[in-house]
Amino acid sequence: MSIVEFRNVTKTFGPVTVLRDVDLSIQRGEVVVLIGPSGSGKSTLLRCINALETIDGGDLVVDGISVREKRTRIRHLRQEAGMVFQQFNLFPQLTALENVAFGPRHVRGTHRAEALVQAEVLLAKVGLGERGHHYPAELSGGQQQRVAIARALAVKPKLMLFDEPTSALDPELRQEVLRVMQSLAEEGMTMIVVTHEIGFARKVGTRLIFMEGGKITVDGDPAALLDNPENPRLREFLHHVH
Amino acid sequence: MDFDWSVVVDALPALLGGAKLTVLIAAAGLVGGTLVGTVAGFARAFGNRLLNALALVYVELIRGTPIVVQVMFIYFALPMLAHIRITPLSAAIATIVINAGAYIAEIVRGALLSVNKGLKEAGLALGLPTWKVLVFVIGPIALRRMIPPLGNQFIISLKDTSLFIVIGVGELTREGQEIMASNFRAVEIWTAVAILYLIMTSALTLALRFTEKRMRIL
Repeated sequence: MSIVEFRNVTKTFGPVTVLRDVDLSIQRGEVVVLIGPSGSGKSTLLRCINALETIDGGDLVVDGISVREKRTRIRHLRQEAGMVFQQFNLFPQLTALENVAFGPRHVRGTHRAEALVQAEVLLAKVGLGERGHHYPAELSGGQQQRVAIARALAVKPKLMLFDEPTSALDPELRQEVLRVMQSLAEEGMTMIVVTHEIGFARKVGTRLIFMEGGKITVDGDPAALLDNPENPRLREFLHHVH
Repeated sequence: MDFDWSVVVDALPALLGGAKLTVLIAAAGLVGGTLVGTVAGFARAFGNRLLNALALVYVELIRGTPIVVQVMFIYFALPMLAHIRITPLSAAIATIVINAGAYIAEIVRGALLSVNKGLKEAGLALGLPTWKVLVFVIGPIALRRMIPPLGNQFIISLKDTSLFIVIGVGELTREGQEIMASNFRAVEIWTAVAILYLIMTSALTLALRFTEKRMRIL
């Protein structure tokens, strides 16, 4: 059974149709890289998966739960789909450690001391074992994004959604974030990544999706598509990104 | 003319009694005003259409009328309308509650809405219910941002209690007025009254500065 299933999904913002009859099925263990020009609907598609955006037509089922179900079920769905944002969105009043422990404490009801111990393990995993007691404002962008990844992982999701995780970072800080994402993929985490990092798509992605005008127009193996883009719009897009 | 210190010394017990009442009215009024303002501010920021409209009418009604008119209405008009008896002191406290509440509602609303929308999304994305996001994510950040404008409002309300001279509640200004009316020592009495207000507002300012230092404003 697929972990994410779009069936004829439509999404509009006022008069603008952002997603047009999208059908998409994603299996466990896939690392799907979503690319496309700005305004093509890739971030919206991602945000529909954990119901940060509501869909207007069709159905979208994530780990057996439809985004159209009632609120308590949606919260359950969100716990299974961790989200990493372009702007990190760490809680500024909490230390890195407290940020990571936040989800388990308030969502899973884990005891504070236990949540902090787990948070330390996760921070070490993203290479920030020494930084736990720093506040977000005291960390670099790359470090903040790695804390944000640890925060999402702390709730033990079944899949991870990344919304342009490196777009707000300087080039030299991107690699540290991409390395963490790569090791996560190597552990078998199901991932859906909106990004412009073509190198990451080739090296880590198991599937590449190109979106345009609210539709998926190309869907296939990253290496094959990047080496030989038959779709003229994809070819043009790659030309601009490189 | 000579500044006669003995006038101040003689007047001091009565003035301190008035100052005590001023503190009581301000403190009780601001505790209530903060509660009312917080509820109205949340209604303005996150309430449904009805709650939002109710809060908006309240804020506009109070901000649009002078506090002296408000206390006159509560002390003289309300008892006639509702057939209740109301003491000057409770009218004074009620006026501060209602008046400060309206301004505090706008402070609370502004602070809540100033918190980056991404933080709310981050909380929701973890699977938290909305109320938990408000209490644990947005609330603590907004609270820190509220402190400077809240301090401003507290000082304004403290000084506004002097207007309750119009309903005869024996707060500091009223006490000063009464002593002055019997001994005509305007310079000594109003200097003493002004200094007592300054002492009260300075204490409030210091307390706020201390709170601000302890909490990092984010």
